[in-house]
Amino acid sequence: MAERIDVVEMFKQAAFEVDNRRLPDLKSDTVIASLGMDSVAIMELVSYFEEKLGVRIPDEELSKIRTVRDLRDTIARLLPDRQFAA
Amino acid sequence: MIGVVPTLNACQGEHSLGFTFVGAKGPGEDLFLSFHDLRLAAQRRAAHFAAAGLRRGDRVALIVPEGEHFIPAFLGAMWSGMIPVPLYPPISLGKLDAFMDALVSILNVARPRVLVTTERVGKVLWSAVGRIPSIEKMLTAESLAAEPAGPLPPAADLRDDEIAFLQFTSGSTALPKGVMVTHGSLAANCLGIVRDGLKIRPENNDVAISWLPLYHDMGLIGFVLSPLMAPISAVFIPTLSFIKNATLWMETLHRHRGTITFAPNFAYALATKRAKPGQIACWDLSRMRVFGCGAEPINPETLRAFVKAMAPSGLKPEAILPCYGMAEATLAMSFVSLDEPMKTDRIDAERYHGDAKATPVTNGAAVLEVVNCGRPFPGHEISVQDEEGRILPDRHVGELCFRGPSVTAGYWENPEATKAAFRDGWLRTGDLGYLDAGEVFVSGRIKDILIVNGRNYHPQVIEWLVDETPGVRRGSSVVFTRPGPASEEIVVAVEARADDPASLKARIVARVGEELQLSVADIVVVPPGTLPKTSSGKLQRRKTREQYLNGSIGKAGRGGSTRLAVARHLALSWVGRARHEVRKLFGG
Repeated sequence: MAERIDVVEMFKQAAFEVDNRRLPDLKSDTVIASLGMDSVAIMELVSYFEEKLGVRIPDEELSKIRTVRDLRDTIARLLPDRQFAA
Repeated sequence: MIGVVPTLNACQGEHSLGFTFVGAKGPGEDLFLSFHDLRLAAQRRAAHFAAAGLRRGDRVALIVPEGEHFIPAFLGAMWSGMIPVPLYPPISLGKLDAFMDALVSILNVARPRVLVTTERVGKVLWSAVGRIPSIEKMLTAESLAAEPAGPLPPAADLRDDEIAFLQFTSGSTALPKGVMVTHGSLAANCLGIVRDGLKIRPENNDVAISWLPLYHDMGLIGFVLSPLMAPISAVFIPTLSFIKNATLWMETLHRHRGTITFAPNFAYALATKRAKPGQIACWDLSRMRVFGCGAEPINPETLRAFVKAMAPSGLKPEAILPCYGMAEATLAMSFVSLDEPMKTDRIDAERYHGDAKATPVTNGAAVLEVVNCGRPFPGHEISVQDEEGRILPDRHVGELCFRGPSVTAGYWENPEATKAAFRDGWLRTGDLGYLDAGEVFVSGRIKDILIVNGRNYHPQVIEWLVDETPGVRRGSSVVFTRPGPASEEIVVAVEARADDPASLKARIVARVGEELQLSVADIVVVPPGTLPKTSSGKLQRRKTREQYLNGSIGKAGRGGSTRLAVARHLALSWVGRARHEVRKLFGG
């Protein structure tokens, strides 16, 4: 069985790889825009998730994603067969 | 002058040239639409618009992310003399409310009768439509592709002074202004671009390739309308695909044997950062004639790094083509000539800031490096003017002004803004710069617009946010930009009696990021009363920026250390490494 997906941990890893940022205090209710990353870096971060998980988040869904939890929920809907950390 | 619509009308039988949409038929599967088929596709849309009751002069709003749907709808509206209004789709993360507000504010100025969107985007947009009373009908791009019931209409006979489309400038939400692009100004600019700027000849077998958004002037005029007028083929990469995976740009240039591409500065930085040596070695970019760079301030360091990184692909340094333009000039104002590599001017920073003169550096003085943006197209003119409108001689710094057949007719239903944009027949660009023997150098901006990653921001909007942060007094912040490695970067200077400046800075970063999805690169907290003010007590943005760049900010009355100022300035003039260098110099 595939391991559980921890979006918060993946997010921290992505922010480091894409934007060289360390986000030790990141939580699932963190508002993504409040991290101060610019829009290009944020889209690269989305792409990191898409590549690692093999999903494609529809463009029009992006504008509804505010928090890390929103991102998790969106991905979870796209991957109904996978388990996610809370 | 032959315009876009007559050119499209003459495309019957053109089966070999056309537009390719990367990935439009599924992953790895491209869609090709010949100009013959494009003409037919546009005609079909025109028939649907007529059936919906639209008439010549009616506005048609377009929020259509996919090029293969957007372009036929846009040209279909123009075909019958309707006025398309291209708008950006809601594709950035978590900004739906802000997007809707901007959309409503733009469309209540443009007052379209019809909104064209896709089925998927339409699901997101419907709540905004109720706030735009002029919209009678929403049409989906998919439904417009169907065979219409009625006959295909002939191309309208359009006058040069009729409006071809409205170009709303990006980013501004307060009182949006729509640039009126006429059929005449459009044809003049496209012709300047393809004939004089790019020197397109049949024997060059040119292929234009772009990931630029099609609602943006550079993507739409530069890569849809100019290639059609040339005529040459063009290849479109979905913008979001490029942002998510920047190597796709170079990959596509290689795969489709591209010769011409354009992008803002930040994209060159992104492409350099993302391309791996193994990939670069596999690409053949030796056919590339033009890597155009414009739409935001050009950082020479970024372009040098790009040329260096891509050298193994056969990229020729002279392919780099800095250019200068703006929506009010339809698109392009000046191009560097094709056979030259990027040229920069190294001028004395002290004399630039102190006497507004661009003096080449002779001794060891601090240097400002300014990119040469070439010459205006034939029939067009650029001058440098002082505040009273007097034309200044070479190497005197003033406002760049432009005139010629590419200039806009003004802003849609906004005579005040139109009046303010012109003086004695010259378009006032709001940019600072100088001329030398007919070549234009853009060195800064007078208009208080910040351009970050190709988008415009009003500094006031950011200042208001900063002012609302707990611990900050109203009217005590100034926002401006500094050159960054990829794009301009936002700097906030704020007067505050901060006991804990670090937490104040964090609050400001979070606030600006959350509201505007903007990254603040630096925040300077200074004691109250130390930022430069006008005689009426308002903070001076340009002066504050100057003080920031030369290191004397917050030191009013104490006199900044000259050595420190020069060292800091030197570090900053090496824009590509600015932050790194400053940190190293001062051990930060």
